[in-house]
Amino acid sequence: MSFPKKPASKALGILQNLPRISLANLRPEPGAKKAETRRGRGQHGGNRSGRGHKGERQRGTRPRLGFVGGQTPFYLAIPKYGYNEGHSRRPQYQPLSLRRLQYLIDLGRVDPTHPVDLTQLVNARGVTVQPLKRDYGVQLVDEGADIFSAKINIEVQRASEGAVAAIERNGGVITTSYYDPISLGILIKPVPFFLRGQPIPKRMLPGEDMVRYYTDAESRGYLADPEKIQQARLALALKYGYTLPDISKDELYHMLSMRKDVRQIFFGLAPGWVVSMPEKKILKPTDEKLLKYYRS
Amino acid sequence: MAASMLCRRTAALCRTLKGISCSKTVLSADSPRGLPPQSASYNPRPLRLNLHRPHIPDKDSEKTPEWQKSSRYDRKLFGRYGSASGIEPASLWPSRAELDRMTAEENEWQPPLEVMLKNVQAREEEETQRRLAKEKLIAANMAKMPKMVADWRREKRESKSKLKEEKSRRAKLLAEARERFGYALDPRSPKFLEMVAEIEKEEKKKKKLVKRRLKDEQLAAPPVAPPAASS
Repeated sequence: MSFPKKPASKALGILQNLPRISLANLRPEPGAKKAETRRGRGQHGGNRSGRGHKGERQRGTRPRLGFVGGQTPFYLAIPKYGYNEGHSRRPQYQPLSLRRLQYLIDLGRVDPTHPVDLTQLVNARGVTVQPLKRDYGVQLVDEGADIFSAKINIEVQRASEGAVAAIERNGGVITTSYYDPISLGILIKPVPFFLRGQPIPKRMLPGEDMVRYYTDAESRGYLADPEKIQQARLALALKYGYTLPDISKDELYHMLSMRKDVRQIFFGLAPGWVVSMPEKKILKPTDEKLLKYYRS
Repeated sequence: MAASMLCRRTAALCRTLKGISCSKTVLSADSPRGLPPQSASYNPRPLRLNLHRPHIPDKDSEKTPEWQKSSRYDRKLFGRYGSASGIEPASLWPSRAELDRMTAEENEWQPPLEVMLKNVQAREEEETQRRLAKEKLIAANMAKMPKMVADWRREKRESKSKLKEEKSRRAKLLAEARERFGYALDPRSPKFLEMVAEIEKEEKKKKKLVKRRLKDEQLAAPPVAPPAASS
C-alpha cells in the first residue's frame, strides 16, 4: 500500500488500510469479561460447591428471613409506630436539582428562550413524573445553586428558598403552580391526550391544605399577589446578599413575564378547545353555557 | 482495487455521519453559557395514525361490540382520524345534562378560592383560639399554685399537730386514769369513759366561769369609759 501520507490524517489512513471489522477481529478488553463460577465442576467449583460444611447451610434448610432461633425476632419485638401511615396519600414531588437544570440547558435539551414548563422538562427527558404514583409534579432543589447561571422563566410545583434565590439572582422568573392529577397527566403527555379527542379540561384549584402555599408570595405561588411577589423578591435578594436585576429592562422581558392563567394547562390553548392532531386544527366551542363553564 | 473499494465505503460512512450530524441542529462549539442558539430537538415518536386505512366500525351492524358504539370510542376515533371519522364534532363536548351535572359537582366539591381561603382562615383562627384559651387556663392555674401549695402545706401541718394533740390528750387521760384507779385501764371500758365525762364537765364549768368573768369585766369597762368621757 503506497499511499501518499497526508499531513494530518494518520487516523484516516489507518482506518482506510485496516481490514473490515468482523467477529474474527474483535476481542474484549483484558479484564472486562470475568469467567463465571460453574458450581459442581472442577477442583474449585466442585466438592461442596461453595455451600460450606454440613448443617442447614449445606442442606439448604435454613429458616425464614428474620428468624432468630426462637427468641422474639427484632421485627416483632419493636412496637409499631405510624411513621409510614397514610404514605400512599401523601403528595410526592420529583426533585430537580439546579445542577441538572443547568446541565440540560447547556446541552440544549431545554430552551431558555421560551418559558420552561413541566412539559418541556419531560420532553427533554430531564425528569420522569408518575402521576399514578401520587406524584404531584416537580420540586426545585438548590443543589448546584453556586454553578447555576441561566436566565429562565420556569414553572414548577414546589421550590426551595435557595433555588428561588439562585434563579432570581440570574435575572430569571420562577413560579410555583398546582396541577391536579388529571391535569398533570395531560401536561406530561400532551399528544396522547389530544389523540383522545376530549376537550382540554380546566385546571382545578389546590385543596385546602395546599392553598396556603400557593397564595404565599414567599413561595412565588401562582395565586399570590404580584406586588407582594415583588416585595418578596427584594426581601430575598437582601437575605441572600445579591442585587436583584431589573427584568423590565431585559430584552426577553415579554417571555419572562409570560404566565399561565389559573385554569390554563398549556400556553396558547384555553380550556374547552379540542385539538385535532391529524388535521392540525383546533376546534372551539360556541355554545354559551359551555363557554361560561370553561371560562369560570 | 481493494483499497479503492475500502476508500469508497469509508467515504460513504463519513458522508452519512456528516449527514446525521447536519439533520440535528448544530451547536456551536463556543456557545456562551446560558444562551445556546438552538435546542436539540428530540425526535418524537411517529404517531402511526393509520390515516390511509382507518378502521371506523359500523354503528348499525350487530357484530360490532358495544364498546365500539360508545361516545368515548367516538371521541377517540375523532382524535385519531379527525373529520374523516365521520363523527359530529359537537358530540365531543358534554351535553346539557352532563354539563349541569359537572357544574353541580364542581360547586359542591370544588369551592371557589375565596371560600377556601375563608375556611382555612376560620380553621386557623379556631386553632389559635383554642390554643390561647388552653394557655390562659394553664397560666391562671399556675398563678394559683403557690397559694394552693401553701394551703396544702398548712393543712398538712395542722392535721399533723392535731394528731399529735389528740395523742397527747389521750396519753394524759390514760395517765390520769392510771393515777386515780391505780392500774392501767382500758380506754374502752365504762369507768374510763365516766372519768372522761367528769373531767369534761369540770373543764366546761371552768370555761363558763372564765367567760362570765370576761363579760363582767367588759360590762364594768364601758360604763366607766363613757361617764369618764362625758364628765
